[in-house]
Amino acid sequence: MSEYILEMLNISKSFAGVQALRDVSIRCKPGRVCGLVGENGAGKSTLMKILAGAYKADAGEIIYKGERREGASAGEVIDSGISIIYQELALVPQMSVADNIFLGREPRHALGMLNLKELHQGAAELLKRLGISLDTRLPVRELTVAQRQLVEIAKALSQNADLIVMDEPSAILAGSELDQLFSIIESLVEQGVTIIYISHRLDEVFRIADEVTVLKDGELVDTRPVDQLDRATLVELMVGRPLAEIFPQTEHEQGELLLVAENISTETILEDASLELYAGEILGIAGMVGSGRTELARALFGADPLTSGEITLVGAKSARWSNPAQAIASGLVLVPEDRKSHGLFTSLSVRINVTLPILSFLTRFGVLQSPLENKIVAEAQERLSIVMASADQEAQYLSGGNQQKVVLAKWLETDPAVVILDEPTRGVDVGAKFEIYKLMRQLNDRGIAIVMISSELPEVIGMSDRILVMNDGRIVGEVAQEEATEAGIIELATMADAGAEPS
Amino acid sequence: MFIANYGVYIALVVLLLAATVLTPKLYDVNTIAVVMRQASQLGIVAIGQTMILLVAGLDLSVGGIFIMTSIVVADFTNGRDELVIPAILIALALGALVGLGNGVLVTKRRVPPFVATLGMLVLVKGATQAYTKGIPGGFVPEVLGLVNQSWFVLSVPLLLWLGLNAFFMFVLRRTAYGRKVYAVGSNIEAARLSGISVDAVRISVYILGSCLAVVSGVVLTGYVGYVDRFIGTGLELDSIAAAIVGGTAFVGGRGGLLGTIAGVLLIQLLSTMAVLMGLDIEVQFIIKGLVILGAVTLYSVASIEE
Repeated sequence: MSEYILEMLNISKSFAGVQALRDVSIRCKPGRVCGLVGENGAGKSTLMKILAGAYKADAGEIIYKGERREGASAGEVIDSGISIIYQELALVPQMSVADNIFLGREPRHALGMLNLKELHQGAAELLKRLGISLDTRLPVRELTVAQRQLVEIAKALSQNADLIVMDEPSAILAGSELDQLFSIIESLVEQGVTIIYISHRLDEVFRIADEVTVLKDGELVDTRPVDQLDRATLVELMVGRPLAEIFPQTEHEQGELLLVAENISTETILEDASLELYAGEILGIAGMVGSGRTELARALFGADPLTSGEITLVGAKSARWSNPAQAIASGLVLVPEDRKSHGLFTSLSVRINVTLPILSFLTRFGVLQSPLENKIVAEAQERLSIVMASADQEAQYLSGGNQQKVVLAKWLETDPAVVILDEPTRGVDVGAKFEIYKLMRQLNDRGIAIVMISSELPEVIGMSDRILVMNDGRIVGEVAQEEATEAGIIELATMADAGAEPS
Repeated sequence: MFIANYGVYIALVVLLLAATVLTPKLYDVNTIAVVMRQASQLGIVAIGQTMILLVAGLDLSVGGIFIMTSIVVADFTNGRDELVIPAILIALALGALVGLGNGVLVTKRRVPPFVATLGMLVLVKGATQAYTKGIPGGFVPEVLGLVNQSWFVLSVPLLLWLGLNAFFMFVLRRTAYGRKVYAVGSNIEAARLSGISVDAVRISVYILGSCLAVVSGVVLTGYVGYVDRFIGTGLELDSIAAAIVGGTAFVGGRGGLLGTIAGVLLIQLLSTMAVLMGLDIEVQFIIKGLVILGAVTLYSVASIEE
């Protein structure tokens, strides 16, 4: 019998030619907390999905409880004692706490009817084991996010889990809730349960994990016991690669003040954010997923109504707006993060995608002027070198990079003063990335100001003139490009309770 | 995808070839004229239904609008020709109101289109029965009998159908409004972020759909020649079926009127051929159901393969 409960050895996995994991190994001893850290896209989730049976590894083997596992289905994985709690919790909101815990495995009477008494008793016992009191009859939709997560943990216990994987559990928790989660993890570990704890908040890893495995770009960097690590070393391991030489630099001076946002909040996590934007600059927005970056972009664009504060375009074209249509008319555009669900019309042609925001310019008495439209679409294709069969090709058949170029082309046609880019290079190959960077510089040269949100720190540092760091819905710091380091930004972005301090 | 793009036309050709053997009587000028006139009644509703489906909606309330139109025309004119135009305008206004109701429920109250328009169907039917106390009165003006005129296969309803098709095809393909309809149906959030007033587009499409149902209702009333409480029953489902069979996606953003024309002809031919073959009405329904299910299954297979 091996000293490990789980060994994933030499795992490789690629999707459509992109190598997501290359020869990664991770080992966990029973009754320990194994931290798994890495930047977005490092391969953490892919590795755990392979463990869950959701993906099949291209190469490598999984040894669980001393036995080599062969192509197990998701259900078999759960039966073998592995439970995975994903960031997007998998509960049925309308059903009660007890119903959710025993979903699909409800205790029954002899005739197949539900044994409600046993259902609620069983649920109550599991919750007690976690040291929490919760009415098992409450529908899950009435619980807080933190309570829902505890229900997920109880559900994992009800499946007799020996190994629980928690995928970024803290992303949705506030300070005191996090303390509760940690004390539950500690008691689970005492009961002999093994935890794989995925996070990119370093404080937590140091607080809870026994050892840490670091992934980067789909490869294993190292696995070390926590007591042999310090913060700086861990950051170095996570991000310590040379800055790629792909960020085009141009000489330019800060232009005139263009946009001012003062103390803006929305009904989302975004709170009390203020910023200034100057013509011809790139303002980078860094921060972890869920820190309020996308919410800031949506607020600037008028997509989420402000609950306080105000945004103004100053200078020659002074304007205010309260919805996307007015924002576009004022010269703002937003290229959203989620290209497929918020940016692109996948079932429509490239032509329709590109000219949608400028229809009023292209029509006379509501009727489209085809020659003008053809000319504009051809120019856009030329300028952004969009690879497509024809302008009437449906956008869904283009590659990720070309889809992103179509979305960019669409907005550039509106001749904007401010361009907000939310994760402009996500899911885009290296060649297209370079073209997008070049395009951003061209926009700067035309005096257009860019707000760029990105999870890729090298990209933020490489492209931005100034970087605002967000944490927990607030802007917690500003760093100039010359002074920016990945370690410094991660430090600001992951500092616990930084959001509560006056900024 | 070949099947998805041309399936309905192939089915139409196959059916027409089958008719040469099964029901040669179909190829008679008078029969064709009847088929086209009936297709036109369905087709006019199906134009509106297609546009509503394009914005990822659905309209079950058109059945109520036929009855309402029939009653308004007969009751208000009581047979007097000179009051036909005002009667039609009143019916259009009431229809627009129903469409507005549908649109507001779906957009502002976020009621699923199926439920909103089903509720509206029951409401309109109930209102017409309350108004007539169950016994519709009045007479259909003679001038509406014009819809029964035909020259070879051409008839007033057919010309109306073709004209409306030409107009709305132009609107969908060549105007800013048409682009917005497709954009809203394809990706409503992206449309909103593109500065389109998505609610206004959706409401307007529901109003258009209801008004087209009024037009079809007027034609139907003229054809029947008296007020019928059950007029147009089934056209709401047939119009949805015609659009779907013609390749308009149930989830919106894909499809168009050319396919719907083919879908309408397919459904109408099936009915007529079944009658010519002397099949029972039950058998007709079974055949119609099988064709609809077959078409939708083919589209699903085609879209999965994509």
